[in-house]
Amino acid sequence: MRFFDCNCFIGLPAVGMLKPAPGAADLLAAMDRSGIEQALVWHVVQRDYAVPTGNRLLTEAIAGHRDRLTGCWSIMAPQTGEIPPPDELFGKMAEANVRALRAFPDRNRYLLRPEACGTLLDGIVERRIPLILAAQGAGQWQTAYDLLANYPRLVCVVSDMHVWGTDRWFRPLVETYEHVYVELSEYILDGGVEAFVQSYGAGRLLFGTGFPKWDHGGVMLMLRHAEIAEEDRQAVAAGNLERILKEARL
Amino acid sequence: MKSRTPIRPDSELAAEFWQKGRSDRCPIYDMHGHMGEWYGIYFPRMEPADMVRSMDAAGVKRLCFSHHASLLAPELGNKPAVEAVRAFPDRFRAYLAVNPHYPDIARAEMAQFDSMRDIYTGLKFLPDYHGVKLSDPRYKFALDFADERGLIVLTHTWGGSQQDGPEQVRIIAQRHPRVRFLLGHSFAYDWDSAVAVVREHPNTYLELTGILGMRGVVDLFCEKVGSDRVLFGTDLPWFDQQQAVGSLLSSSITEDDIHNICHRNAEKLLDL
Repeated sequence: MRFFDCNCFIGLPAVGMLKPAPGAADLLAAMDRSGIEQALVWHVVQRDYAVPTGNRLLTEAIAGHRDRLTGCWSIMAPQTGEIPPPDELFGKMAEANVRALRAFPDRNRYLLRPEACGTLLDGIVERRIPLILAAQGAGQWQTAYDLLANYPRLVCVVSDMHVWGTDRWFRPLVETYEHVYVELSEYILDGGVEAFVQSYGAGRLLFGTGFPKWDHGGVMLMLRHAEIAEEDRQAVAAGNLERILKEARL
Repeated sequence: MKSRTPIRPDSELAAEFWQKGRSDRCPIYDMHGHMGEWYGIYFPRMEPADMVRSMDAAGVKRLCFSHHASLLAPELGNKPAVEAVRAFPDRFRAYLAVNPHYPDIARAEMAQFDSMRDIYTGLKFLPDYHGVKLSDPRYKFALDFADERGLIVLTHTWGGSQQDGPEQVRIIAQRHPRVRFLLGHSFAYDWDSAVAVVREHPNTYLELTGILGMRGVVDLFCEKVGSDRVLFGTDLPWFDQQQAVGSLLSSSITEDDIHNICHRNAEKLLDL
């Protein structure tokens, strides 16, 4: 069984964590122990300190590990010029082996709306670059709903959903928008994977661990023994993420 | 990459769980479960028969649970839990849930407790949701009842909570030394207090529901208080039991610790 983790980070968070993964070597060592081949990784400085610096640190960290680590940068509303304009951004992403993006609009104080991020989001949608959005609580779900209403073709991964009861939030999005994906790190509901696959098929689920906030093994064992077909299991474990990253035109 | 057991290489226990989803050598007693509907969560598997299927898949021998109705629907009370245990007497034991706002209902149910020891394994408190502090006089009758009998009391706890945080548990653990307090969620996020309280009060145990998988937590607990004071729990049907096992395997605790957490500690508490 091959695993490609769509949700992990490196770096020291501003608020202490018992076992962070300070750098790529720490992440790779943990992946080796667990048996995870590849990871889509972001740098916690993107969230905790500043997006431009976090993107730079991430680029430097994964530079020597293109075979196993794919990068995920963060975006902001472009009006202040703190991130490159879209075409330049996408070119730099390709150079750096970055194939997905995250956004922290609440924290960075902007809205993911056409007025604020229109040119950037238009480019992200056109190029099918996955945008990963943490959805924790009603406010962030509202952000996701509004964003997708404006950008229905967006490849959007809802992530870090909190472990308590998210089906009533994400199912309408999965049903309405064909490029919405759900990552598993905090979707650990008993029977949840089976129920999702029964309702929507396996193509919209992504293996993610939330490492190093969470250990690898929980979601791995849950997925290993989910009562789904083997081909579905492998699709969730790695195939779906490989497909959507490959489809990103960078 | 060389093929080997994922999660915990060179571990026969991990290999067994990886291959079969369960271990014949390491049965599991889940000390913190629930059942039935809950206002905030869709559960695909919330009925007893479905839960037993999940338990079979993970090698969980017994689930000690409180029915959601007993916690939040006073007119239904503990009756649905009793029915579930009667339907699956080898697999379930219920905690008699106490809602401090309805002492008459709780007293009436507790009056049957002694004649229903094949059903009930202890009491359950949910102070944060009921908005009543553990040290409040409204819990006293239930705590006295438990202390007289040396019962298990599973209480929800959370870091920083005014109702069931560390200071509240310290008060009741001191007042009721014969009660064996299982600290549900181990004061989530206040790990230092979790360690301190269990060190101070020999009648308290750390319970891992909702925090299994948080990297470093179970390692910290085993290092600081010892795995003989730590219990396996999942809030089933809230959380997948194999996710919980995988989290234990992912940690750096020993296999002896895993056995303690999964079954040995519960076997002692439940007198099995």
